[in-house]
Amino acid sequence: MLLQQLINGLTLGSVYALIALGYTMVYGIIELINFAHGEIYMLGAYMGIITFGLLTTLHLTSPTSGATLLIMMVMAMLFCSACGVTIERLAYRPLRGASRLSPLISALGVSIFLQNFVMLAQGPRDRGFPHLFAGEGIDLFGSRISAIQIFIMATSVLMMVALQLLVHRTKIGKAMRATAQDMQMASLVGIDVDRVISATFLIGSALAGVAGVMVGMYYGLINFFIGYIAGIKAFTAAVLGGIGNIPGAMLGGLLLGLIEALGAGYISSEYKDVFAFAILVVVLIFRPSGLLGKDISRRV
Amino acid sequence: MPTPRRSIAIIQRPFPRIVLTSLWFGLLSLPLMMELQAPFFGLGRPLLVSAGVAVASLLRLAVSQRGGPGAERFQRLMGAIGGAGRDLVGQMNRRVLYVVALASAVVIPLGLNRYHIDILTQVGIYVTLALGLNIVVGLAGLLDLGYVAFYAVGAYTYGLLSTRVGLSFWEVLPLGGLLAAIFGVLLGIPVLRLRGDYLAIVTLGFGEMIRITLNNWDSVTRGPNGILGIARPKMLGFTFSTPIQYYYLILAIVLLTIFVVDRLNRSRIGRAWTAMRDDEVAAEAMGINLMRTKLLAFGLGATWAGFAGVFFAGKMTFISPESFTFFESVIIVCMVVLGGMGSVLGVILGASMLVILPEMMRQFALYRMLIFGGAMVVMMVLRPQGLIASSRRGIALGPKDRQGSASAAVTSFR
Amino acid sequence: MRRSWMWRVITGAIVVLGLGDVPEASAIKLGMAGPLTGDQGAIGQQLKNGTIIAVEEWNAKGGVLGRKIEIVWGDDQHDPKQAVAVANKFLNEGVSGVIGHFNSSCSIPASTIYHEGKVVQITPGSTNPQLTERGLWNVFRTIGRDDQQGVVAADFIAKKLKKSKVAVLHDKTTYGQGLADESVKALEKAKIKPVYYAGITQGDKDYRPVLTALKQKSPEVLFYGGIYPEAILLTKQMRELGMKTVFVSGDGVWQKEYIDIAGKDAEGAYVTFTPDQAKIKEAQGFIKKHKEKFGEDVGAYTVYSYVAANILLDAIAATKSTDGPKLADHIRKTKWNTALGPIQFDKKGDVLVSPFVVWEVKDGKFVEVK
Repeated sequence: MLLQQLINGLTLGSVYALIALGYTMVYGIIELINFAHGEIYMLGAYMGIITFGLLTTLHLTSPTSGATLLIMMVMAMLFCSACGVTIERLAYRPLRGASRLSPLISALGVSIFLQNFVMLAQGPRDRGFPHLFAGEGIDLFGSRISAIQIFIMATSVLMMVALQLLVHRTKIGKAMRATAQDMQMASLVGIDVDRVISATFLIGSALAGVAGVMVGMYYGLINFFIGYIAGIKAFTAAVLGGIGNIPGAMLGGLLLGLIEALGAGYISSEYKDVFAFAILVVVLIFRPSGLLGKDISRRV
Repeated sequence: MPTPRRSIAIIQRPFPRIVLTSLWFGLLSLPLMMELQAPFFGLGRPLLVSAGVAVASLLRLAVSQRGGPGAERFQRLMGAIGGAGRDLVGQMNRRVLYVVALASAVVIPLGLNRYHIDILTQVGIYVTLALGLNIVVGLAGLLDLGYVAFYAVGAYTYGLLSTRVGLSFWEVLPLGGLLAAIFGVLLGIPVLRLRGDYLAIVTLGFGEMIRITLNNWDSVTRGPNGILGIARPKMLGFTFSTPIQYYYLILAIVLLTIFVVDRLNRSRIGRAWTAMRDDEVAAEAMGINLMRTKLLAFGLGATWAGFAGVFFAGKMTFISPESFTFFESVIIVCMVVLGGMGSVLGVILGASMLVILPEMMRQFALYRMLIFGGAMVVMMVLRPQGLIASSRRGIALGPKDRQGSASAAVTSFR
Repeated sequence: MRRSWMWRVITGAIVVLGLGDVPEASAIKLGMAGPLTGDQGAIGQQLKNGTIIAVEEWNAKGGVLGRKIEIVWGDDQHDPKQAVAVANKFLNEGVSGVIGHFNSSCSIPASTIYHEGKVVQITPGSTNPQLTERGLWNVFRTIGRDDQQGVVAADFIAKKLKKSKVAVLHDKTTYGQGLADESVKALEKAKIKPVYYAGITQGDKDYRPVLTALKQKSPEVLFYGGIYPEAILLTKQMRELGMKTVFVSGDGVWQKEYIDIAGKDAEGAYVTFTPDQAKIKEAQGFIKKHKEKFGEDVGAYTVYSYVAANILLDAIAATKSTDGPKLADHIRKTKWNTALGPIQFDKKGDVLVSPFVVWEVKDGKFVEVK
């Protein structure tokens, strides 16, 4: 059973990690807990279904076609990026100078708005996700690992690596790091801070969109409310790993998934969230900036 | 901060900009709103969205007159409202004002029907909660996203003690507050070293832990079924049972809360909290014991939630874990931020608005929450500092600032 | 000073506009309360639709007592304090009866208020036994109690399926846990002790950890107390883990989406529900009308709301009054022939014998098991 639980946990964790990556990127730059990020992920999932529907109408689909999946993911990424950038422009940029809590409340308003918009536009009932790659998998020492699970884990790792490369090897990445370190200085040095922030939201939202499609595929069922819980979990994962830190988000996500899976399997399904939070508290007591977070030493 | 170069010149001019913006929003709403089976692919609805955005942008343009002074005008109007509030308070005789306010609070409900009185009672509960959270978030600057946990502690304390031990409302009221305070301190201890948003997630976790435990500890809390048959408050042989009676009870609690919180605000501990909020390092350098100050904030803040919880249980006579969700914590934080952190009057206004507005909007049925979300964004964007910004947050300093606290003095030298 | 006057005027206008309501004098009002928006909005919609059809049918026949029937909506978002606000609002608007609420945690505090206002309340969805144990004269429910439903499922598992290794899961809500616990009680009476018992969290997507742990006990049957979203996930994930366990659940899962989304994984599942409405005379028009008007089949809860509305309106017509106590008396005395079949209320307001039968998912459809 242990192996199966590990597989369960790592897959679950990979999903959390993907969403947490977006959270952590945005936080690293503008110190905003983007409550609406979970909703972007939800939009990605819906976009997947809608794209599939469109392709079906145009007779372009096939259940085991990688191309179909790819198109769904690309469309979701495009849509979510567009939404993310728009939201940033509308709801967060005007609040950049204000206290830290104002954008938080604004994010909350966006979150409520998006949830209800989708509920009204797409209906409150759960929607089934098209069955792609269903049932394929391999047996491994008595446990089953499905194609989708492998795919999810691989995609997460890939995304994280890509993101790391982007942040550390490209010019825009450098600009992001500079802005994260000190926004004022960065703008004084000539970095277009607005552009950098928009780019951050673009990438973070795209990642959330991919996560949405993958989660839709993995569970087969979505509704307008999935962003809420996913958002909280992803935020927890990001904090666990050290918020603002990209490998940290990955680590935090995987850890959280493992803790939940092992907790639910071995200890108690009812209390697994309590267990997860308790571990978070313990970790933070010993490492107040998260597992991989930078120790913010106060310059006095 | 220097304004960034606009790379596309066409966006500078207002009308093309409005057209492009409307098209953009229409495009964004297209995937979600179109229906493949409908005639014209259901493009009607996204077009509606485009039209709506166009109209709104045009309105904004008209109001703001080329987008410059208008925005300022609006800010000044809002500032004037907030300022009018403060000026009114300052200019009139404070005693007269308080008497008038108190008299209205006492007399007006007598003419209202039970629905409205119940809403006002709810406002009272949330004012108590928001004032308590104001201590933690507004004064001490500690982002607590799990405040509802203390509310639950108060409510379940009364629920359990009333149904199992038979204690009365008045006996449990102080107990509820005390127990909530203890939980507050318990929450405070592990988070002492945590900064800003780490604190937020742990407090969020704490709130969830309490709710999950309440939902699962069937033997004690009866799990999702909740506790039924909680005794109503009694006083000198008279039982509180009608809406107006509950209203006066919560009014009394609210007045007590305002009094105490105001005292705390002006006391040494209040100043220690704001000092800590504005700059922890400087505060510590000036001799403030951070640990004690934080724990006091958590503990005292939680106490009010405990009282509110006991009252809530006594009013509903039935409690269940569903009343104590993360969303409740968030709404209370909204009330504090929207009202203007740290200011008592602002918080009261924020709480009133966030309770009354959704109720008023019931006629919009399904669109109620959509409008609510949008309104929140709009309110924050238009007035980020909240309705009545606390006069103590001294950034622009001048002879007008009467309070002249220590933190303001430090700011002026930077 | 001028600005502050303007402020007062604006505030005053908002208050007046917001709080002022103009009630229609001649219509008979029915309140319908439930989670119309929010994460349980799907269920709220079912309840809405049931009431809408009932009222439309009556209005087409000229209304009741010669007056048109108007529905007053109350969205409680499964939040008890909103339920109280809605209840007060209904009383304010002078409703003659209430269909609602859905969640027990909302029905219970609301019922106290309806009791004060002498208004009859018929809930189409609250299953907490405490609701009626209090003995309030104005409270009824058209939905069966958990103990009635649990027995049916347990009997089926023990006698028809003849399986003895049963695992039990529930969603930690009043309904789900209530149903699961009652089924466990009934199973134990049949000398079957569950090999696994746990609660899952609604809203989580991934139940593989729990199912993996459960799999270790090799259960032949999994009984689930809860509603269809989680049931779909449990069913699919069970099959993905290679488990051949039979899935049994209650009326919250009798929903087209269960079959649609779980697909072939749902084959062979058993669900308890009311007898086939297509065979009940009173339900014929109802099913057809629902399909015509809303373009979709009835849901698990639609019929309970439809029946509740009909009972209220019938009682008003029969007693020729809207007086709460009179209506309640009549409701209690009458043997009703409804779209759920014949029902009768006991003194507490529960349905005397709630008819539940077992349905099977066969060839992509729900089929009643003989």
